Amino acid sequence: MSFDNPFDAKTKLGHGGCSCGHHASDAEHQKAIEADNRAVARDEDLRLSRIVESAVVRALFPEDATRRAFLRAVGTGTAAAAIAQFLPLGAITDAFAQGATPEKKDLKVGFIPITCATPIIMAHPMGFYSKQGLNVEVVKTAGWAVIRDKTLNKEYDAAHMLSPMPLAITLGVGSNPIPYTMPAVENINGQAITLSIKHKDKRNPKDWKGFKFAVPFDYSMHNYLLRYYLAEAGLDPDKDVQIRSVPPPEMVANLRADNIDGFLAPDPVNQRAVFDGAGFIHILSKEIWDGHPCCAFAASKEFVTQMPNTYSALLKAIIEATAFASKQENRKQIAEAIAPANYLNQPPTVVEQVLTGTYADGLGNIVKASNRIDFDPFPWESFAIWIMTQMKRWGQLKGDVDYKAIAKQVFLATDATKLMKEAGLTPPDSTTKKFKVMGKEFDPEKPEEYIASFAIKRV
Amino acid sequence: MTKALISAEGLAKRFPQGQGQPPLTVFENLWFEIAHGEFACIIGHSGCGKSTILNALAGLDTASEGNIIVGGKHVEGPSLDRAVIFQGNALMPWLSALGNVELAVSSRHKDWSRAEVREHAMKYLDLVHLNGSELKKPSQLSGGMKQRVGIARALSIEPQILLMDEPFSALDALTRGSLQDEVLSVRAKTKQTIFMITHDVDEAMLLADKILLMTNGPKARIAEIVENTLPKERSRTDLHKHPNYYPLRNHMIEFLVTRSRELAGGAGAKPGELRHPPVVRPTIGGTTHVETARSSQPAESTAATDLQAGRVSAA
Amino acid sequence: MAQPSASSLNIKATIVSVLILATFLFAWHLGTAGVATTQKLDPEYAKLMGATATQGKSAMPGPIEVGAKIWEHLKDPFYDRGTNDKGLGIQLAYSIGRVALGYLLAVAVAIPLGFLIGMSPLMSRALDPFIQVMKPISPLAWMPLALYTIKDSGMSAIFVIFICSLWPMLINTAFGVASVRKEWLNVAKTLELGPARTALSVILPAAAPTIFTGMRISIGIAWLVIVAAEMLVGGTGIGYFVWNEWNNLSITNVITAILAIGLVGMALDQLMARLQKSVSYAD
Repeated sequence: MSFDNPFDAKTKLGHGGCSCGHHASDAEHQKAIEADNRAVARDEDLRLSRIVESAVVRALFPEDATRRAFLRAVGTGTAAAAIAQFLPLGAITDAFAQGATPEKKDLKVGFIPITCATPIIMAHPMGFYSKQGLNVEVVKTAGWAVIRDKTLNKEYDAAHMLSPMPLAITLGVGSNPIPYTMPAVENINGQAITLSIKHKDKRNPKDWKGFKFAVPFDYSMHNYLLRYYLAEAGLDPDKDVQIRSVPPPEMVANLRADNIDGFLAPDPVNQRAVFDGAGFIHILSKEIWDGHPCCAFAASKEFVTQMPNTYSALLKAIIEATAFASKQENRKQIAEAIAPANYLNQPPTVVEQVLTGTYADGLGNIVKASNRIDFDPFPWESFAIWIMTQMKRWGQLKGDVDYKAIAKQVFLATDATKLMKEAGLTPPDSTTKKFKVMGKEFDPEKPEEYIASFAIKRV
Repeated sequence: MTKALISAEGLAKRFPQGQGQPPLTVFENLWFEIAHGEFACIIGHSGCGKSTILNALAGLDTASEGNIIVGGKHVEGPSLDRAVIFQGNALMPWLSALGNVELAVSSRHKDWSRAEVREHAMKYLDLVHLNGSELKKPSQLSGGMKQRVGIARALSIEPQILLMDEPFSALDALTRGSLQDEVLSVRAKTKQTIFMITHDVDEAMLLADKILLMTNGPKARIAEIVENTLPKERSRTDLHKHPNYYPLRNHMIEFLVTRSRELAGGAGAKPGELRHPPVVRPTIGGTTHVETARSSQPAESTAATDLQAGRVSAA
Repeated sequence: MAQPSASSLNIKATIVSVLILATFLFAWHLGTAGVATTQKLDPEYAKLMGATATQGKSAMPGPIEVGAKIWEHLKDPFYDRGTNDKGLGIQLAYSIGRVALGYLLAVAVAIPLGFLIGMSPLMSRALDPFIQVMKPISPLAWMPLALYTIKDSGMSAIFVIFICSLWPMLINTAFGVASVRKEWLNVAKTLELGPARTALSVILPAAAPTIFTGMRISIGIAWLVIVAAEMLVGGTGIGYFVWNEWNNLSITNVITAILAIGLVGMALDQLMARLQKSVSYAD
């Protein structure tokens, strides 16, 4: 909802649901503005002028209420014309379009071939990078450690990472502490628990005692979500089952070879297991926590500070791509763009099933879950706090943790707010929010109480 | 006789033994001289240090004591003026016969063009009758041919002195004979000064002007210097027909069989004899001792040397 | 009975080789033919599934499939469809380029250093403990260290090639130089060749067959290691190609790459064998 029309009287220039009261539901509200948004995504010039207009309107009417009243009174068209009379909106728009020249035009961005990286990847074939005047090469990379090293080596200017990684690295968990920044989340949801086809009758996690599971990395949402899910079912993830770190490409082969019973993995691995008849999708990760972050766009602190213009151009491209990807109707087109060997190297139907949310579950059913994967750039600091509570819960992190300070340092929510504003997007008012994981509310103000509330933990 | 080209003065070779033990002396008090154009052979049993002497002359080894003076200069190390023909052929197997000789020629004449080097090398291969086989690798040549290449290589650098370490010992009798002839004919052409080690009394009689007889080691020394009493112009085929042949041969055989052992360990050495080993001339008329020139005396005239050399004292 | 001539033996060996290949291909074909137990599936659902799931097709490709894939690669070995999708020929060229660079660097270090060790008993003893410790280290174990210090993955891969090619060459050079016959060195001395010319025109050709044996061992190891290194580092190269196709579970492409790796490895070995033959000498 970050791509709103500032001249829409019904829209608050802030993050929020349908608060205009004109629609019965959020979905309906969404529908009403969708057509307009489509035009935004298609038409760069219109989008740019809207960025400027938004800024101007906001400057003229800092109070939401006043602005809405004004617009309702005179109508959108009149308002724009009226403002244009005393403010050369066109000139400002042009100036903004040119922007500050990037210090460096040829960039390399690393990615792991999973659908989480969709915004980073699609920005290449679909021209989001070139729109920002950047010549970005997206480079497929073998693993998380390599992607980290290549970013440190400055071979990559920025990279796709698992959102807990910048936290773990900054905290010095599992590596030397290195200043990392995570200015944007790439995707929310988009993971799943896949089980071997031979377990198709064991749908209750209580029956999973003795199972061997794979997750892509120790410091991944996958690990924390799987542990959370198992613990909620009364299984101790360290004692009742085995959880191993396995690179995603090896997961399907291992599942077929009967080395593992299942995995909580990023897509397209889950859908690929179904496609090859090796497994079935037990649940999507959104059923554990709807709206959970997964992967992130990360850059070294050095890149951010030394090449601010390049960095903001790159981030704008990513945020725009994320916005484009967040729209259901674009998903099929994206799937076609990112499936070839140059990017994900997967059968297009697999990628399409992941992105559209209409998929075969491996048990003979076609499931429709439109938000199987979604894309939202905002790095909520409360996400970081939740991740740290889980790191602490499972003994990866010991001692006292200044949750808020670290969350602020790594998840650059304030930066994102600023950049989203610059890019004409509407960031949320707050950098933290409450959310529910398997029905249980998480209050970012009370992380220690949250940890203490769990029966199964390593603290 | 001209002034000595090579003089060895009191050479000794000692190897340190274990702690507390005296060093092992292979040879000591070794004195000899070789004149310009002279062909000297050294004969002795294995272990008397012949090869060490030759290597010291070549500059490849050093004596523990004493000096070697060649052409008025101390020998400090190897030199292109002293070519060595090794016991094994010591050819570079990756080079052709010509390549081996060319390596030597180009090291002598660094400023020569390839063509000049080749031409010069071919001349010496011709000299040892190897034209036609110059492009063959050593592995394609017979033992005798290999040794000929070695000779051509040594001669091609036109050294002052040729040092030969049992050059023909590894060859069969027939090949050895033909190579000995080769050496004779080459020497007739080049008047080369040659120092050669041999085990073979007949070879020494055929080739050498004088033969140094060494006692057995340890503490080996030169017991005697035998002058070749056979005529200068000699050939393998009629050598044994000369009346001096058997007296000369018997003298040396007798030395090698009995006296070399009796005189071993420095036994029977008279003080004056160490510096000036007795010179003997075994002939049909009996073996005569020749009184040699004293090298310690001031430089004598050639005439005086000849006169003294000719003076015969009773045996 | 007459002794079979060399040529008739060759013909027979070829026939047996072809038979073995044919038997292997046939067994492979049978083994992967798959049991055609097509389940009755909802056609909408079947569209979303792969052939392995719907037609009971074996996950392992058959020889015909692989042959077709090889033909496809042979037809267009140098296509370039972006950073992460390049033809097999280009990938092989990247790998060969890396191997060549790392290997030549190793040659440049190993041969002079081997000379030093071979000629100096002091250096030989002084360096021996280091060589003994470094030699058995798996080349890939150097990778994290290389990535951390060199800070360039391409250079790290080249470094890994360098380090794995170094030891056989170094040890063989030192051994070859140390075992040059004394008499050849004596010849060099009496010819007053001087150290540089002695090294170049006597020691080098004398030790060349031993050095080239080391170089041949090294190129084999380097080619083995580059595939693993590229699988680790990614980006380009035949190792990356294998990894990328594995990622796509495309066994057909993996098998094609394996064949290509084998053929290039054989070609490199044959090349070194030729060179080795050209410097060897009969004694």
